[in-house]
Amino acid sequence: MKKLSFKILMSFMLFTLFLGACKEEEFQIPTASDQLQNDLIKRSLGPNIVGGTIEFAYAAGIVPEKGKLSSMTVEASIAGATGTYMDNKFYNTNNTGVDVGTAVGDPSTTTGKTTQVVYTGNFSAATLRYYYKIPEEARGKSISFTFTAKASNGETISYQAGPYEIRSMDMQLDLIAKDGTDCFISIADMKVYNATFAAANPDKIDLIYLYRALTNVTYLHSLVAPTADPIYWPTFTMPTGLKNKSKIVKAFTVRDQQLARIQYGVFVDDVDLRSKDFADAPDFAINVKAEGGVWVQTADGKYNAYIYINTVNNTTKEMRISVKRLAIR
Amino acid sequence: MKKIFILQFILALFVIVSCKKDYPIDKDGLLITNRADCYVSNFELLGADFQTVRTKAATIDTTAQTINVEVLYGTDLKNLYPQFSLVVDAILDPKIVGKVDFSDLSKPKEWTVVSGNRKVRKTYKVYLTVKQ
Repeated sequence: MKKLSFKILMSFMLFTLFLGACKEEEFQIPTASDQLQNDLIKRSLGPNIVGGTIEFAYAAGIVPEKGKLSSMTVEASIAGATGTYMDNKFYNTNNTGVDVGTAVGDPSTTTGKTTQVVYTGNFSAATLRYYYKIPEEARGKSISFTFTAKASNGETISYQAGPYEIRSMDMQLDLIAKDGTDCFISIADMKVYNATFAAANPDKIDLIYLYRALTNVTYLHSLVAPTADPIYWPTFTMPTGLKNKSKIVKAFTVRDQQLARIQYGVFVDDVDLRSKDFADAPDFAINVKAEGGVWVQTADGKYNAYIYINTVNNTTKEMRISVKRLAIR
Repeated sequence: MKKIFILQFILALFVIVSCKKDYPIDKDGLLITNRADCYVSNFELLGADFQTVRTKAATIDTTAQTINVEVLYGTDLKNLYPQFSLVVDAILDPKIVGKVDFSDLSKPKEWTVVSGNRKVRKTYKVYLTVKQ
């Protein structure tokens, strides 16, 4: 009998637990705070590179009856380079899909680490965009930001963002290599030179761009090191003194978003450049294609780079490339 | 009480029977089956960019046990990734675990296909030629 009572009691308790667990909680509309509020999103993606831009959207709002926004301020831990600013407009998209800006005050002013927009209009809520141009002194360091909004009733609110690591690599976009003229590529300088410069500065030339429409084989757009077997630079006169044996590894699906600026969410980061294996890599890459690329290590082992091929043109015999480069020693 | 013991005995028998292995497995956990077929059905060769370097389909001679592949002009022969398609249940020996150096064209690379029953072994030679 005792055992039976215990079983009944246990069953009752389980049943009660089951009922409790199934209780429906009714949704309640949250009550809005009547204080000054803010929020932030980081709009830019991918590694933060010197010379590049970090973009944020900072929003603040207050109940209209309590006051208006009077200013928005951003303080960076390292002063931004020229070109750092906060947009003095907020945007809404009209029915044709175009973003239409509404100015909240005068254009921002930047003094040292601080960028500010002072509101002159009658606004209780707005989202402003902040563009931080990454300076040279931030290379390899971390930066953080303090976003602050002030209201006319004296309320102040802040939002801490970061830290964000600034990469050690460099980036250069849209270099044009042209067969027969500007075809000598320097990774150290991240520039394309002509034969006269190459002959005068042979140590700087890591790659040569060539276009050949050969009959029996597919050569088309190719990148070769000066030391490559002459069969890989047909009908080309190599300037004397060029001797860099660059290591080249072909790539095809590395469509870095910062270099390509197309839809793929792929990013080449410091760690990729640092850890790329160049063992047994050749000194030529024949028939490279648009949206492909090559990993390159300079002959002195100082730089590892990734060259993305944005476009190739068989008629003008040229190639548009973008480069990410990391000094590895 | 006696009934319970009988029931337990039957249950134990069921467990033992259900755990019996139908087929043996090899050291990689792959089934050793009854199939004696042993051949390469397809061959692919990828470059460092994981794109094909073949100029056309590889010629596979299952009698002579050879594979002839012509690769593109300018192919980096030291860093290639071969891919074999084999008959059902067969395995490749040695396994391909990374890039393979084909730069010495005078010495064809060799791989052995082992049948599903692991009793038939056929060694294939892979000959590369570069389009000129």
